[in-house]
Amino acid sequence: MNNEPKIIAFCCNWCSYAAADLAGSSRLKYPHNVRIIRVMCSGMVHPEHVVESLSKGADGVMILGCHLGECHYINGNRTALARSEMILELLEDFGFEEERFSISWLSATEPEKFVDAVNEMMERIQELAGSGISANSSHGGQ
Amino acid sequence: MSAMALRVAFEWLGACSGCEISFLNMGERLLDLLTGTFEIVHAPLLMDNKYCDAEGHKTPLPHADVGFVSGSLNNVEHLEILREMRSKCKVLVALGSCATHGGIPALMNGGDMHQGWREIFQTSSTDPGSEVPNREVPAPLDRVYACDEKAAIDLLLPGCPPNPQLIEEVVDSIVEERNPVLPEKSVCDTCPVQRKGKGEVKVIKRALVDADFHSDEPIERMRCLLEQGFLCLGPVTLAGCAKNEVPRCIHARVPCRGCYGPVRRGGNQLLDMMNAMASNGMDYKSVVDRRSILRFSGAHGRLRPSRKR
Repeated sequence: MNNEPKIIAFCCNWCSYAAADLAGSSRLKYPHNVRIIRVMCSGMVHPEHVVESLSKGADGVMILGCHLGECHYINGNRTALARSEMILELLEDFGFEEERFSISWLSATEPEKFVDAVNEMMERIQELAGSGISANSSHGGQ
Repeated sequence: MSAMALRVAFEWLGACSGCEISFLNMGERLLDLLTGTFEIVHAPLLMDNKYCDAEGHKTPLPHADVGFVSGSLNNVEHLEILREMRSKCKVLVALGSCATHGGIPALMNGGDMHQGWREIFQTSSTDPGSEVPNREVPAPLDRVYACDEKAAIDLLLPGCPPNPQLIEEVVDSIVEERNPVLPEKSVCDTCPVQRKGKGEVKVIKRALVDADFHSDEPIERMRCLLEQGFLCLGPVTLAGCAKNEVPRCIHARVPCRGCYGPVRRGGNQLLDMMNAMASNGMDYKSVVDRRSILRFSGAHGRLRPSRKR
């Protein structure tokens, strides 16, 4: 029915969700097909959340956290960073392109960075779609 | 008791008969079951029950109170038999990791299925015109499935093979019309070895190196194999294999292979293990052939052909 790409963005409560909030109240324009999920810390996003999102039909997954060194929980985003390298490596094991995942850091006062990150992700997904590859083309779903 | 006998049907799909042997390993209790509780109405392992008559018409399976199905779904025949079992059994139990998580046959899901079939059915020495069969031999499915992907299963008992004590518990629970009490923790939660804290190990050793232990000392004196640097799948594997309170592989002083599948139904052993390693500062890249961590739980779309670049 709806062929628009879907992007899931896990935003941490303290920085990136506030940035997304500010992007909205500042009336910045960003793609409407990003679904924001608020989590307490980027470090609590389990790789299974990422792979499950992609398996169930999301076209891209973003993790957005505080700048490194500014984590509300001291080093949660460093855990997220360590995991993200692993996720990038493992996505191919599960049959997804590594372009479908991104991790970026932004503070609560950087709504433009949020918009840029979402736009960049959207461009990457559209490029993949242009090359005729869709997530879940084979062995999809559960 | 015989008036109340439980009509039981057994069936095996893509299986090795290990689950049935585990049934036999129940010990003396099995004699009670066979002489009083069970009335076996269908079991291809024990009796020749035809699926078709001489003219090729299908003959239905008998009705049963309980059905035990072992093995994964590899071809259309397996699928047909599973559906027939589902329609004839009041309670259907998936027995063993192949039936619950795909098991060893589902390793096939990690490769190119079409290439695999070609290698099986069309070698350089086969006659010309040979192709992937769909008549004399049942046609393969598009991938290997666990039973619960294709039919409603009432009770899932993983294990390669399932622990006879757990099979006994499942049988008792059905007879007593209650929910079975099955393990819900991880292998690590039930493991008695010494844990001194993580963080020392950075690189995973291969199993070609011996673990550090003294064979005359009890298992409680051995250092945790994961802390020794071996890839032990205990953290991401469901408990249940234990005999005398010690997980079986650990008892043999080798790392857990992960045969009971993920701890949480729907979990992913590969992701969970890599996540645990990455979050604890271990080099996940030092694991050789990491996709084989899904060696027992490759169905449900978990093990997929890796994306070629």
